[in-house]
Amino acid sequence: MAHVSIPMYWRTIPQRYSLVGYKCKKCGSVNFPPKGVCKYCSASSEFEEVKLSGRGKVHTFVLISAGGAPPEFAEQEKAGGQYPVAIVQLEEGPKVIGQIADINPKDVKIDMPVTTELRKIYTEEGVIRYGFKFVPAGK
Amino acid sequence: MKKVAIVGAGQSRYGEFPEKGIKELFFEAYSDMSKSVDKNFDPKAIEAAYIGNLGSGGFQLGNMSALVAEYVGLSYIPTMRIENACASGGYALVAAIMDVLSGTHKVALAGGVEKMTDVSGLKQKYWLGVSGDTEYERLAGTTFAGLYALIAHRHMHEFGTKREQLSMVAVKNHKNGAQNPKAQFQREITLEQAVKSPIVAYPLNLFDCCSTTDGASAVLVCDEEVAKKYTDTPIYVAGFGTSSDYLAIHDRVNTTTLEGTRKASERAYSMAGLGPNDIQAAEVHDCFTIAELLAYEDLGFCKKGEAGKFLEEGHTQIGGDKPVNASGGLKSKGHPIGSTGTGQAYEMFNQLRGTVQKPARQVKGAEIGLIHNVGGSGGTVEVTIMRR
Amino acid sequence: MAIGISGYGVYIPKLRIKKEDYAKAWGSFSAAGVSEKSVMGFDEDVLTAAAKVSRRALESVPIGPEKVTRFALASTTPPYVEKVLSGTVMVSVGIPNQTLSSDHTSSTRAGTEAMLSAFEHVQANPKGVALVAVADAPIASMWDSFEHALGAGAAAYVLSSENIVAELEGHASYASEYFGERFKPRDESLIHDLNVKKFSESSVITNTTKAGNALLKKLGRKPEEYQHVVIQQPDARVPTTVGSRMQFTEHQLAAGMTSKVLGDLGAASTPVSLAAALDDAKPGDRIMVISYGSGSGSDALSFKVVGDRKAAPRFQAEADQKEYIDYIKYLKLKGAIL
Repeated sequence: MAHVSIPMYWRTIPQRYSLVGYKCKKCGSVNFPPKGVCKYCSASSEFEEVKLSGRGKVHTFVLISAGGAPPEFAEQEKAGGQYPVAIVQLEEGPKVIGQIADINPKDVKIDMPVTTELRKIYTEEGVIRYGFKFVPAGK
Repeated sequence: MKKVAIVGAGQSRYGEFPEKGIKELFFEAYSDMSKSVDKNFDPKAIEAAYIGNLGSGGFQLGNMSALVAEYVGLSYIPTMRIENACASGGYALVAAIMDVLSGTHKVALAGGVEKMTDVSGLKQKYWLGVSGDTEYERLAGTTFAGLYALIAHRHMHEFGTKREQLSMVAVKNHKNGAQNPKAQFQREITLEQAVKSPIVAYPLNLFDCCSTTDGASAVLVCDEEVAKKYTDTPIYVAGFGTSSDYLAIHDRVNTTTLEGTRKASERAYSMAGLGPNDIQAAEVHDCFTIAELLAYEDLGFCKKGEAGKFLEEGHTQIGGDKPVNASGGLKSKGHPIGSTGTGQAYEMFNQLRGTVQKPARQVKGAEIGLIHNVGGSGGTVEVTIMRR
Repeated sequence: MAIGISGYGVYIPKLRIKKEDYAKAWGSFSAAGVSEKSVMGFDEDVLTAAAKVSRRALESVPIGPEKVTRFALASTTPPYVEKVLSGTVMVSVGIPNQTLSSDHTSSTRAGTEAMLSAFEHVQANPKGVALVAVADAPIASMWDSFEHALGAGAAAYVLSSENIVAELEGHASYASEYFGERFKPRDESLIHDLNVKKFSESSVITNTTKAGNALLKKLGRKPEEYQHVVIQQPDARVPTTVGSRMQFTEHQLAAGMTSKVLGDLGAASTPVSLAAALDDAKPGDRIMVISYGSGSGSDALSFKVVGDRKAAPRFQAEADQKEYIDYIKYLKLKGAIL
């Protein structure tokens, strides 16, 4: 079962709550989410923690409809209808996947600027899992 | 280098079978394989078995290879379950090939089985999601349809690939699958039906997605030295290659390329001393319609970005110069995860020997064929080139 | 040493439902003076809203989250009845883990309760920087008519002795024993109200006027010396009732009448309305805030506006940004369809 345990989720809190990226001390590239060895130079596993801005541009996106949502998100789809999920190219370089909130799915466009906010991601075993979602920038 | 041959291949019917579990399904494939061996089939000659399986709904995660092997009468031999998501079967085939190549055994069985329709809809989604990047991709609210939709959308954006072109993959594969008595969906669909089916994960709709399937397949792999004992027309493994890639799509340099496919096929071509132009028939991993278009490009059948046009021009139809998924593909034949890779080998074995059940989908005169099996959204990929 | 508000921020979820949609569903709409109200989205709750306004308040100063030495969170609708709530906001905003935090949740007075306990910190620590985040989205049974008023909103304040926009002149409180009005029994997540109307009204009037008048007396002020008055708004009529008892005019109440378009913001009612008043105020203006929490108690706070720095976005901009939903969607979002 694709169950993300409480400790497994907790270990990603720096990424999910405050977008902590990992800047390679050798090549200077920012790894986000973190890697054991820098994915850009493959030559260092020493990183400096950097806070990412959360700003970026939509690289590609999908609109998840009924039947396309994992069970953790089925209720969200039923209550709110289609929801957008995007891969966003962050200002600092890395790409990362996340939902886009506060937007009519029809208005999502590739290359549109977005930023991040803390939102409820889903609830399991009575525990609310919070994390970042993208929202349209410049509001 | 030693040469490896395939001397028998079998497949169960693909579909939904409440009366059959993994043991019964695997037995059906194994029996079919044993009948395909032209002469001297002897279960005692099988020295090892490699079984592709994702988990069959989680009911027998541990030691399932021993279970299905003993059920078909193969006791006290080395068995191993191979798991690489939807590429489990392909990797089981490669494991059997490498076993024989190494000289450890002369005859090895490669197979795959999946039982997908025993579980509730909810549980099915829970365990199918295990093969993507769980922490980020799944928790962003995507299943595989969503992930392939992300790729498809970017492909459409970068290369102008059209919605209709995605549907044309489904139409072609259903047309082929209608001629396959072992396929899950043996019926043709119209382009209009395919284009207008309900959206699952925009831009992908229901007819862009393969279904959930019960099924099994089995392939008998042996050393060239002993091949002629079983048949006068063995099919040879000309080359094979596998590759991993970043599991999460956002980690990949290029969203519209499955680097795993490129690397695996480069290795297979190089080992075979062949190139994409030499391939006369291919079974590629079309879990979603966009995946078949990606395969055309990443296997080198056409240039990057031109798959839609390549399809529209008819190259990949039966009768075209590069027929792809004459079996109906995952789309129409079905996608019993662990069985898919060895199921492709079963189809290619018959295509190259001219023994497919219905002449309508026989690729005439094909001597060199390629099979391509992808795990998840490309985290693992297997390519094997077979020749008569 | 002068202490006061150094920065503030406000957030109103953009979803709205109109009173007409309620009337269509139930035949009438029971929230006096409310024309529409705000609703939180499916993926929001008071903690995500608190994180959002906290950032806005810090940016309005501007000051970094690492400078915060006291954090106070208030809401009557926390996602957990037992669990430290402020940690979610602190970690998300980047407030140091060592910062003392407190969660105020037991009545709609919680907003001013949090502000006053944060002011006490600044009073005692001249270099201290307190952040107060108040977010609320009260929930009641759809069968209860007092549910009609319940809206959603959030405001946050940076309190310190530097860069002051509005100086705290003084405060007074009053607590007493009433019951039966707006309460949650131990095993319930929804608000109950026994609807003993006159009795409840006497509780509101007693507590608010006692606290308000005590503060006027303490500061030697007359009601007319205030340009803006913000009073707890379970609906848009209560502040008028209380205001007239205290000889405040409609004009003084006008800028802070958020309930007309947002409904009852619970613990965030006075904090959000104060932000609206601050947006409207000029240096030299005085603002009176009187909260109310059932059961019962009130806090009164008096501010003198000393700066004209406004927070972005303005309250009005937040109030104007909206997307209407119908009653069915509203029920889905509130989780009322079981």
